[in-house]
Amino acid sequence: MKMRTHKLVIAALLLGSCSMVQAQADLEGYWTSLFAPTPEGEALKAKLPAGAVFVDDAGSGELGEGQFSGLKLSDKALKEIADYDFRQELSQEFACTPPSVAFYMQAPFPFELHQSDKFIAMKIEYFDMFRLIFLDGRGHPPADAPHSKSGHSIGHWEGDELVVETTHISSGTFMNNGFNHSDNLKLTERFKLSADGNTLFATQVSEDPEVFTGLAARYMAWRKVPGEYVYPYECDPSFGE
Amino acid sequence: MGFTGKHSVSRVLCKLLAVCALVFSVGQVQAHHSFAVHFVADQLITVKGVVTSYKFTNPHGILNFSVTKEDGSVEAWRAETNSPNVLRRRGWNKDSLKPGDEITVVGFPARDGTPYMRISKITFADGHELTGQASTDPTAQD
Repeated sequence: MKMRTHKLVIAALLLGSCSMVQAQADLEGYWTSLFAPTPEGEALKAKLPAGAVFVDDAGSGELGEGQFSGLKLSDKALKEIADYDFRQELSQEFACTPPSVAFYMQAPFPFELHQSDKFIAMKIEYFDMFRLIFLDGRGHPPADAPHSKSGHSIGHWEGDELVVETTHISSGTFMNNGFNHSDNLKLTERFKLSADGNTLFATQVSEDPEVFTGLAARYMAWRKVPGEYVYPYECDPSFGE
Repeated sequence: MGFTGKHSVSRVLCKLLAVCALVFSVGQVQAHHSFAVHFVADQLITVKGVVTSYKFTNPHGILNFSVTKEDGSVEAWRAETNSPNVLRRRGWNKDSLKPGDEITVVGFPARDGTPYMRISKITFADGHELTGQASTDPTAQD
């Protein structure tokens, strides 16, 4: 009886181990924004931290001037917004300034995702951006390490969900209405594949005490398009006046 | 040529608020600059003119066209597309418009009142159309 129990325990552990390996979803593919996410993604949305302010501008949405989804902005952010000149957005200097990962991930542009055990690479169509998410257990570089628009991303699997933390993001557009995040923004994303493998859901939680209180959250979804690929963006500054 | 509408120069202001609200909610492009700040999202105008130049590069394609007003004077208009990458998947390309093409442009007017708009639809003299930022297809890559 005791031997049988041991065998059952070992079998259960093996099964559990196998299921953990299998649980790592295959996110590989070309993904394009899904403007009408299916109810299946709501489960991921339900995991957002309590008290996080939901920013409903992902995909096809956009917040107008002075709209911040109820986030409590710092005095520093409010002053920057008050001083922001929207006319500069039509200049050649501004035309090809790329947004940071916080904004380009929610923009309605496709991306390719290439996956291995050690990293995930994302080729973003919007502004030809690129992301590398390390899955090898490394940490972030020191706080004073150089920043970039894509930042430094480390990820791990929690069952079939990919959790990614990104720091070292250089300041950039947060809401496309004059409200920018600081160099100290921390992003936490959670990605989950639909049961049929054709839809990718994600939540994005932002923390940036320099510019707003508490947490801000977004929810995105993309559909898989077999055979498609990301086009070059090749931004042309001559659009600006 | 000419344009139909609300002000002294005739310009048809399509107050399709409900329709536009739907269009806006599912088809807006967040390109490099704010759409909501620079354009009136709940209005569409219709302008007829002749293409003078067209450039199809990101972040926005630019269409310049001349419009002859009712008094005979000619006004230069500028219209931007949403991202050419998006439009390329809908059949647009760098040769979609040529100088001399007679067109009717429906678009979202600039908030500052200048002769500038975001293109929603272009109809050519032969009746064929190009769709810009106005998709009601919720799965479109707008």
